[in-house]
Amino acid sequence: MFKQHVKSLLLLELLKGLRLTGRYLFAKKFTVQYPEEKTPMSPRFRGQHALRRYDNGEERCIACKLCEAVCPALAITIEAAERADGTRRTTRYDIDLYKCIFCGFCEEACPVDAIVETRHFEYHGEQAGDLLMTKEKLLALGDKLSDEISRDRASDAPYR
Amino acid sequence: MFLESVLIFAKIIAVVAPLMIAVAYYTYAERKLIGYVQIRIGPNRVGPRGWLQPIADALKLMFKEIILPTKANRYLFIIAPMLSIAPALAAWAVIPFADGWVVADINAGLLYLLAMTSLGVYGVIIAGWASNSKYALLGALRSAAQIVAYEIAMGFALVGVLMAAGSLNLSAIVHAQATGYGFLGWYWVPLFPLFLIYFISGVAETNRAPFDVAEGESEIVAGFHVEYSGMLFAVFFLAEYANMILIAALTTLMFMGGWLSPFQGTGLEAYFAWMPQIFWFFAKMTLFLLLFLWFRATFPRYRYDQIMRLGWKVFIPLTIVWLVVLGVMILTHLSPWFASTAG
Amino acid sequence: MARIEIDGKTYEVEAGKTLIEITDAHGIEIPRFCYHKKLSVAASCRMCLVDVANAPKPLPACATPVWDGMKIQTRSPRAINAQKAVMEFLLINHPLDCPICDQGGECELQDVAVAYGKDRTRFIEEKRIVIDKNIGALISTAFTRCIHCTRCVRFGEEIAGVKELGATQRGDHMRIDTYMTDTVNSELSGNVIDLCPVGALTAKPSRFAARPWELHTAHGIAPHDAFGSHLEFHIRRNQVMRVVPRENVALNEVWLSDRDRFSYQGLYAQDRLTAPMIKKDGQWQTVDWESALLFAAEGLKKIPAKQLGGLASATATVEELYLLQKLLRGLGSNNIDHRLQQVDFSEKTTKAPFLNQRPADLAQADVVLLVCANLRKQQPLLNHRLRQAVLHNHAEVIRINVYDYPQNFPVSHNLTVAPHQLVATLAGIAKALDEAQPAFKNIEISEQQRAIAACLQKNNKKIKVLLGEAADNLPQLASIRTLTALIAKLTFATFSETGRYANSAGAILAGALPQQTLAGQAISGETGLNAQQMLSQSLQAYVLLGFEPELDSIMGATALQTLQNAPFVVAINGFCTEAMQGYANVLLPMALFAETSGTYVNNSGDWQRFTAAVAPVGSARPAWKILRVLANLLDVHDFAYTASDEILNEVKMLCETSAQTVEDSTWVLSAPQALCYLTEPAIYAGDALVRRATALQATADAQACHGAHVNQRTADKLRLSAGQQVKLSQNGGSAILPLVIDAALADDCVLVYTGLAESAGLAHDVGTIDLTAA
Repeated sequence: MFKQHVKSLLLLELLKGLRLTGRYLFAKKFTVQYPEEKTPMSPRFRGQHALRRYDNGEERCIACKLCEAVCPALAITIEAAERADGTRRTTRYDIDLYKCIFCGFCEEACPVDAIVETRHFEYHGEQAGDLLMTKEKLLALGDKLSDEISRDRASDAPYR
Repeated sequence: MFLESVLIFAKIIAVVAPLMIAVAYYTYAERKLIGYVQIRIGPNRVGPRGWLQPIADALKLMFKEIILPTKANRYLFIIAPMLSIAPALAAWAVIPFADGWVVADINAGLLYLLAMTSLGVYGVIIAGWASNSKYALLGALRSAAQIVAYEIAMGFALVGVLMAAGSLNLSAIVHAQATGYGFLGWYWVPLFPLFLIYFISGVAETNRAPFDVAEGESEIVAGFHVEYSGMLFAVFFLAEYANMILIAALTTLMFMGGWLSPFQGTGLEAYFAWMPQIFWFFAKMTLFLLLFLWFRATFPRYRYDQIMRLGWKVFIPLTIVWLVVLGVMILTHLSPWFASTAG
Repeated sequence: MARIEIDGKTYEVEAGKTLIEITDAHGIEIPRFCYHKKLSVAASCRMCLVDVANAPKPLPACATPVWDGMKIQTRSPRAINAQKAVMEFLLINHPLDCPICDQGGECELQDVAVAYGKDRTRFIEEKRIVIDKNIGALISTAFTRCIHCTRCVRFGEEIAGVKELGATQRGDHMRIDTYMTDTVNSELSGNVIDLCPVGALTAKPSRFAARPWELHTAHGIAPHDAFGSHLEFHIRRNQVMRVVPRENVALNEVWLSDRDRFSYQGLYAQDRLTAPMIKKDGQWQTVDWESALLFAAEGLKKIPAKQLGGLASATATVEELYLLQKLLRGLGSNNIDHRLQQVDFSEKTTKAPFLNQRPADLAQADVVLLVCANLRKQQPLLNHRLRQAVLHNHAEVIRINVYDYPQNFPVSHNLTVAPHQLVATLAGIAKALDEAQPAFKNIEISEQQRAIAACLQKNNKKIKVLLGEAADNLPQLASIRTLTALIAKLTFATFSETGRYANSAGAILAGALPQQTLAGQAISGETGLNAQQMLSQSLQAYVLLGFEPELDSIMGATALQTLQNAPFVVAINGFCTEAMQGYANVLLPMALFAETSGTYVNNSGDWQRFTAAVAPVGSARPAWKILRVLANLLDVHDFAYTASDEILNEVKMLCETSAQTVEDSTWVLSAPQALCYLTEPAIYAGDALVRRATALQATADAQACHGAHVNQRTADKLRLSAGQQVKLSQNGGSAILPLVIDAALADDCVLVYTGLAESAGLAHDVGTIDLTAA
């Protein structure tokens, strides 16, 4: 009891705290000078989404809507219909990046590895709606980054 | 007459302009220091090592839109920041930076200071009221209650100084601390509890962490200035930092011997005689200013009831007890501090 | 009674029942594929194997009757082993294409595989592939997924009554295929979609459109026939994606006709009217509701009450019809009618068509006389009850009709006669039953009529007399009804009328008639004009509710002409056609089936209330609200309804408290005609909604309705041949149609279906029709 009063009157605990922060004042700093410096990135990195194609140019997505069902943020909207050749395809595949929480569940749910999250995270939108990814935008990104995506999936394949 | 006015005006400029620059770079120092404590490096993009960051911030704030909330009382809303900054600047009139370097060397300096530092709360209360926002009002109420609580402890602490020095004139208080025993001859030694209480109350008075419940961004968003933006916000900001610098200056004056050299009266005094008095004043102030930041980087915010308990149930009794002790010290002419005091 | 033990718990059960019936009743889960409670037991899938004490092998629960002292274990190691083994065999050839399969998410195979199957496959050989076949516009097939449960095959044999699907070949080569025809044409074909436990048979109109987990359900009542099946809407993002039956033991059991199942497509037709429109200075402009209703009210205010007519379709709800007649009567006009398909208005009172029995009672019948009924196509599920009477109760069915509709059960006496002979035929049967009646003095009785009469005169038998919907279209309606009712009376039979539309009975109860108001109460004062009069003699203003006169009225061309001449027409409709823009002055978009709340009274006498399942398309509003506001603007009293239930309560209260007095009607023999003009609404064009269901239009039933039908003898007489373009001309209209030879017609009759654009040029004229080569 007395000890407690002495402790608090002499501000010993406060001084302890000040000592701790004071030590960190001189500690080595970890700041990474982005964008000049970048940290290493895992092939599993979950950045902006892309829709992939097969090597013959056919889109992979079969409109099974599992990604839409699993999406915890309800960011994915899909409309499906029969294409002229009788296959099941999406007529609309929207990912609202404003809603997306980049959990990667869509990628996990996809039975044909169509929707993937790429390493690409340095993107921006200049107008409202720019970050509403439509099927065209997603396929275009998939085409643009197709080599990188394939490489990443291949390097991660042994662990899946 | 005219010349006198010009002179006074020049003096005011000479005090206020460096003060504003000090505020700007104090914010820079704050961000850097807190950054370092958090193992970051703080602002480093604007100008070399981020030196121009405060300038950029000031420019940004100047060009931002001032938003008047609907149904806000627009006159009070605009007057509030001015009421906040005016006393913070006016108090500097009686601060002696060195022997005789004072805008107005008045005998009731200490009372004047008490009055000025207390007035600042009106700005806060009016801002909270005029915003027509629940968070702002809550912040204002908290702020008012807190200032009432700590004003008393602060006042008692100053009574101690007054008793010790026997004068309300700040220059006289500094002179009274020149006892010839260097830094140990200053009032912080006999008045140690009052010194601590005064500084802590000063932190509370300026609504700084860990006493920043009036802002409490995690509870009431930003407290009394939640609705302020642009230059009006900047004025509140300036007032807060000017007040912090003022508290640092006052602590220096009353407990740390103001412009006195720490070696005053010792053998080393001659070696440091070439140092201007103002240097010592600023050095001591800087120490307290850094303490403000260090506190913020270290302590989590008090709960509101803890603040009230600390103010009313710890600080006020402690100061009263120490005033009695101090009285005994003065009556016994405790050397070296009270050797020459009339008792 | 038998005492059995299932999984250690004892149950007192009825002996002789199969084990799966008992477990289902007690909520004990047994997996199954081929078993279905409404179909015969095949015991072919072996999924329901359970472990029965003292039995050498696990027994199929669906084919094992219970006995006293039976001990069953559903989850013993032996049962689990059997279930796992069966599941593994079933999955050998089942493709792993769940992501693209429409059944995915509501698939019995998926569910059972998760609950009872293994999580690894040992099958490394090649899987079987079956080449798909297009079996029609309604059902999409993927027979590779078929697990040969044969539910669809048994459904065809036992319920639909047509053997269209069957299992050909054996073993690994076994496949489900169409037998005789290339397509599945049954009017109940959609039910195999629900029956199929896997994705082998799925709905074509909603193919790939939605996943089961995206859908929420809402209840509804079928809008196309007087049977009033219960159904369920599957809705996604405020759009009806598909319609499935809702189980109702008293009415549709677990089935639904194709017409009710697929008509939802019409809701999203291209020509949906989505915003109110008014015609100002000959130009159509889209306006807001307020100005449209004000415009309508201003227009109607100028018209003297006697010059005001109101016409509605019997697909409208009780509430809508009641408000329409209340509005017109409030304005002082009795010109209100819904009998757009009728030509004979000689009866003084109109009774609501009721079966006067439950559909299940019909399944217990011993002798059934069907007059002018095409139950199979018009009310397939009522026909299903009749078929059960024939199959299980060996009922004798006597059919007298103007057209020999194909039946899916044997008929003991089948008479197809021209309309003008119909009265004489019925009179002959009546005379054979009661020769003493003076009214029958000049009637001769044929041998067949005598035989039919003998058939109907049986003691201690359940005899039913049904007057069908086809009589409505005949000019002899009153005589046919009188005589049929007389025959029923003489044979102590239950007399039933089937009605045609979803609300045929409700429309009459609601008082949408010129001569009687709510609950059949005769009006005081002058009788208003009936549908025929209104559509032939030009009035100054009309309020039309929910139909297209040129297609829905039996006198299409005349009706269109009359409306075009009318100075002011307010059309409340779900759709907007060119014809409508031609005659209307205001177009008010109304909410259709699934979008509005209301009540239908079916022919079993049930008042079936339903609520809106989805929000209306565009700014369409429920018609009862439109009528309410219109009435308020026209200062008609007592129109302060805030919900459709208030209207219903008002109608129901009056219907329950008042009894209709029916005046006796008489019958007259009709004069023979050289060429008799027959007509009826085409099966999938009977109302504005189903007409727009594109998938149904592609079915064989819909295709068969095109053209001018005559039998070979008539064609020879007129020197016309099949496929030839012929011109039909009559008073007030003409049409050029291809000639179709149809053996089901009587001599000297020509049948043209209404509701089709091709026949819209014809106006029904009782008198004559000319058929010449075009």
